[in-house]
Amino acid sequence: MRKLVLVSVVFGSLLVEAMPFILLGAFVSAAIEVLVPASAFAKIGRLPRGLQLPAAAASGMAFPVCECGSVPVARRLAAKGLAPGAAVTFMLAAPIVNPVVVASTFVAYRGRDTLWVMVLGRLALGFIVAMTVGWVVGTLRSGELLRARDADVEAHEVQEGEARWRRFFGHLTGDIVFMARFLILGAAIAAAVQTFVPQSIVNGVANLPIISLLAMMGLAFIMSLCSESDAFVAASFTAFGPSAQLAFLVFGPMVDMKLGALYVGTYERGFFRTVVIVVGATTLVLTMWLQVVFG
Amino acid sequence: MSEPADRRAVRWSPTRVAAGLVLAAWACLFWFVLFSGRTSLYLSTRTAWLVPLGAILMTTAAVGRLASARVERPDPLERRESVMFGVIALPVVLLLALPPATLGSYAVNRRSNSTGIGASARIVSGPLDLVDVAAARSVKSAADDLRARAGEQVTMDGFVTVQPGETDQFQLTRFVITCCVADATISYVTVVDAPPGKFTNDEWVRVSGRIYPLGADILIDATSVEQIPPPEDPYLTP
Repeated sequence: MRKLVLVSVVFGSLLVEAMPFILLGAFVSAAIEVLVPASAFAKIGRLPRGLQLPAAAASGMAFPVCECGSVPVARRLAAKGLAPGAAVTFMLAAPIVNPVVVASTFVAYRGRDTLWVMVLGRLALGFIVAMTVGWVVGTLRSGELLRARDADVEAHEVQEGEARWRRFFGHLTGDIVFMARFLILGAAIAAAVQTFVPQSIVNGVANLPIISLLAMMGLAFIMSLCSESDAFVAASFTAFGPSAQLAFLVFGPMVDMKLGALYVGTYERGFFRTVVIVVGATTLVLTMWLQVVFG
Repeated sequence: MSEPADRRAVRWSPTRVAAGLVLAAWACLFWFVLFSGRTSLYLSTRTAWLVPLGAILMTTAAVGRLASARVERPDPLERRESVMFGVIALPVVLLLALPPATLGSYAVNRRSNSTGIGASARIVSGPLDLVDVAAARSVKSAADDLRARAGEQVTMDGFVTVQPGETDQFQLTRFVITCCVADATISYVTVVDAPPGKFTNDEWVRVSGRIYPLGADILIDATSVEQIPPPEDPYLTP
């Protein structure tokens, strides 16, 4: 019973922290739906991909919320006609490149020799990995990216001819209800794993070159931390070098248990697998290179 | 006199009402956490603002959905949607029904050590706490600062964790959180010369004594150890 109460503590804390970000994302998403014409995104969609992806990644700097908030916004952007590659790049980059996360990484590593390697390395890797995934999914159309939602559910949310404020709350409620169930599922799994699996499980491989990177990526997946706090946890793994800590800080905000549930619910089958493979491979290659340079 | 046609035509939509009520339940949870003082059980002082924000946004969403719940063509609430709303409402029931709890000695062995970043400047002059101790374990300059204060009298609060075989010593422990409990890391000092066998795991105590960095460990040679009630804010924030 005591262990179940501990699971509920972590579960509750994940929800109490993540739900306001889902709400913020849903408010932005609903505002985009009722205020921004689809033609605006179609124009952006006609830009060359070489411009779209960096612009999408950079726009993440203006969206200071963690990963849960960026999913509903990216979903809405893709539904409104933004190129899927750009929407996915924004979704993956925003939780890493936004100024709050950059500042929290700075604070977490202040006083260490590796301060700038961690802050700038995380920023650069966040950009590169997000754009790589955006490039890979860039050949899809939005209809092939987004999972089709139940037509009845859509009809409950908004009916034809309703006033704009009613449509706003219809889309808002739809997004919250849609995201909340997957967040709850992901948070429950993450809380159970966090309670029963010791973090020290990875300590034994801290000095093994490639295994240490994979171990830290796996740990980030299990822990499902908010990108605004994960640097403080990464900094506590002092046995691991900066490249392994960067693997934790880049992979985690893009792929973790609660995000996995959100991706599966939001995107078509195969998207989550693609993200895991591309984010994992790109992060691994880049951090291996950093491991050679910085250790 | 007959009602206007648009007034007669609209009726409550069961699906919209149900969605509004689920959002209202979540809003109640956020308001409850805010006014019952339970915010500190889930979030750090740094992220406590998320609770009132969540309460306001969720209340706005619930009110908006209920205000727009009368429509011309109301749809019945289907079984699948009922289950979905139930799943979303379930955490509200769980979090309200379960007794307030915090991480304790069981979680200590499953967490990594805090680095107490940001605390090193305080070690020079201010009263020492377990965040400073965490910083001294991981940052060389903080360790040097703490070494310069070896032998000073300190008072620290925390909960007891006892390792197997220990009799007159234990670890005085606190969890350090940055955003929420999920990112908790641990900080501890070893308390020596404690009354043998008097304190057990998870008891909250106030320890006074002299502090000594000793190799990789940091000790408090206790002059007094008294039991205290669990604090309202059980977690430290660096």
